[in-house]
Amino acid sequence: MISRFQVALKNLLRKKVRTLLTLVGIMLSSWVLVSLLGFNRGYEQALNRDIDNMGYQLMVMAKGCPYEAATMMLQGGAGLRYIDRSMVDSIVSNPAVDKVTPILMQAFFDPNKGDGGGIAGYYGVEIATYPAMKPFFRFRQGGWFRDEHATEAVMGFEAAELEQREVGDMIMVPEKNIPLKVVGILERTGTQDDGTIFVPLKTLQKISAIDKITTIGIKIKKDADSSKLENALYQLPDVQVVSFSQVKQTIMKLISTARVMVLSIAIVAIIIAMVGVINTILMSVLERKQEIGILKTMGAMPGDIFRLVWTETLILCACGGVGGIVFALAFARVTDIMVRSILPYAPSGGLVMIDIRLAALTLAIIVAVGLASGLYPAWKAGRMRPLESIRGEG
Amino acid sequence: MARKHHSILSAAVSACLAALLLCLAMAIPVSAAVNCELNNPVSDVPWLFPESTSFKTGYFSFAARGGPPLLRKVETRLGGFPALYAPLNVPYTIYEIYNGKRKIGYVHGVNQKGQYGVLEVFLSLDMNGVIKAFYIQRMAGPWTKKFTSPAFGRRFVGLTLKDFEQYDTVGGKGSGKVAALHNPAPEAVTDFLGLLRAVKKNLILMDEFFYSAERPST
Repeated sequence: MISRFQVALKNLLRKKVRTLLTLVGIMLSSWVLVSLLGFNRGYEQALNRDIDNMGYQLMVMAKGCPYEAATMMLQGGAGLRYIDRSMVDSIVSNPAVDKVTPILMQAFFDPNKGDGGGIAGYYGVEIATYPAMKPFFRFRQGGWFRDEHATEAVMGFEAAELEQREVGDMIMVPEKNIPLKVVGILERTGTQDDGTIFVPLKTLQKISAIDKITTIGIKIKKDADSSKLENALYQLPDVQVVSFSQVKQTIMKLISTARVMVLSIAIVAIIIAMVGVINTILMSVLERKQEIGILKTMGAMPGDIFRLVWTETLILCACGGVGGIVFALAFARVTDIMVRSILPYAPSGGLVMIDIRLAALTLAIIVAVGLASGLYPAWKAGRMRPLESIRGEG
Repeated sequence: MARKHHSILSAAVSACLAALLLCLAMAIPVSAAVNCELNNPVSDVPWLFPESTSFKTGYFSFAARGGPPLLRKVETRLGGFPALYAPLNVPYTIYEIYNGKRKIGYVHGVNQKGQYGVLEVFLSLDMNGVIKAFYIQRMAGPWTKKFTSPAFGRRFVGLTLKDFEQYDTVGGKGSGKVAALHNPAPEAVTDFLGLLRAVKKNLILMDEFFYSAERPST
């Protein structure tokens, strides 16, 4: 005996072009929706990963603009404020603190960089404490500095690639004309560390003729209360605390506008696809008036006709939904590149994360909305009067 | 019949609208990495090529033309060692120079490993491959000014690939006009040899990708 599913499938295959075009509409909606949901999840995960890769959750710096250090690195802002090295000792004594590392960020004007010169940023780090903050660092060549006073440098992957440096080569600190020997080149991390040049803290202090630091990176103990520690750090004189959870919240707020826009586009795409479904199924019902009438005269109940038409909707939406998800998975990398180029800030790693649960959720949404769209055509088909349908022109 | 066409048309419009929305959401140009570019071509090209009235920026790569055999050929012409820095798929940037509608030459730059960092060396070349201008865009070290001085740059004007054919990029030994190019900073031998190697590399690349193709075959 032929099943309802087979009858529905045969009905859809009668008008192949129309069915195919409707399927394409549903596929595109499904593609947009699953990519958007995947982006929602992937962006936050990538941001968390980037923050974890910082190695520390809190940064302490001198009072002023909290983004001054970053601005300096990017644009060479003058008047950077410094904090005393002794501050590290007062922070490390807090029981909530796991690890602490002092950092000195310095920017030197390089007249040969870019159009009209540019800024070369150097990171002064302590060999005793900094590597412990970044246990995930892997070296492509060489390793960390020999000691805190060595005139050596460790280069991020891209910094080394840009300058064509290898271990044993030399680099020159602009402005100061001090040569440093490259002793290590890091593997690509996908973070800002790729473009960084690390120098022993004491060496950079000597080069810059500064005995202070710009930043203290703090790693919090796993079971510690970070907000309590933040409050305690705020009691220190002339410093401010930058928490990466705050940074994350700020970035997520910035990105929320873009997310709302893309969500709106996804909703409009779904609506268009659903109108297509209604149109296709309704046309199919109207074209088969006589058939439906004959089915009813043979004993089919309104519920049977309703379920038959609804099954057609189900097949259309399920196939379109699955197709869209397959496309989204296949082109996730392309979507990633495109999304990355429009965002004001994009963390490293994959931004679109589609897993089986997300795929199932998308399919459920598409099928549910599709079935809702099929309600009216199915109801109309179920309500047809048999004799009038048979008498009417096909 | 009309109803059938109407329904197909309607489904097609729906699909197209959905596709359009998808494109609107995601249509962004993807930028490509490039090998060595002028920092500001609009202002750099006119002084590198004073007769120019306009220029076109183009890209070429081993991957797009010649592939590994051409790369090996260029490396052999360069002396075999060390290998070219740029991988096969990295595009080189070329500026085609025009006077009105007539193409009058090229500006092309290459990267070369230097003593304290990368060297970015550009050449202006006429349609016969004769150097019209030599320009170091990037170099690190206290001696940079000695190499970027107009006097040093002028020594390269008029040279061609023929002058560099016998130049040994590994040993740094040359003859004729190339041998007459004296190092203005004896303390920076690595950079001086790097510059000569960059010029030869630049001329070989131009010969393989442009001049050989433009020369009528004999």
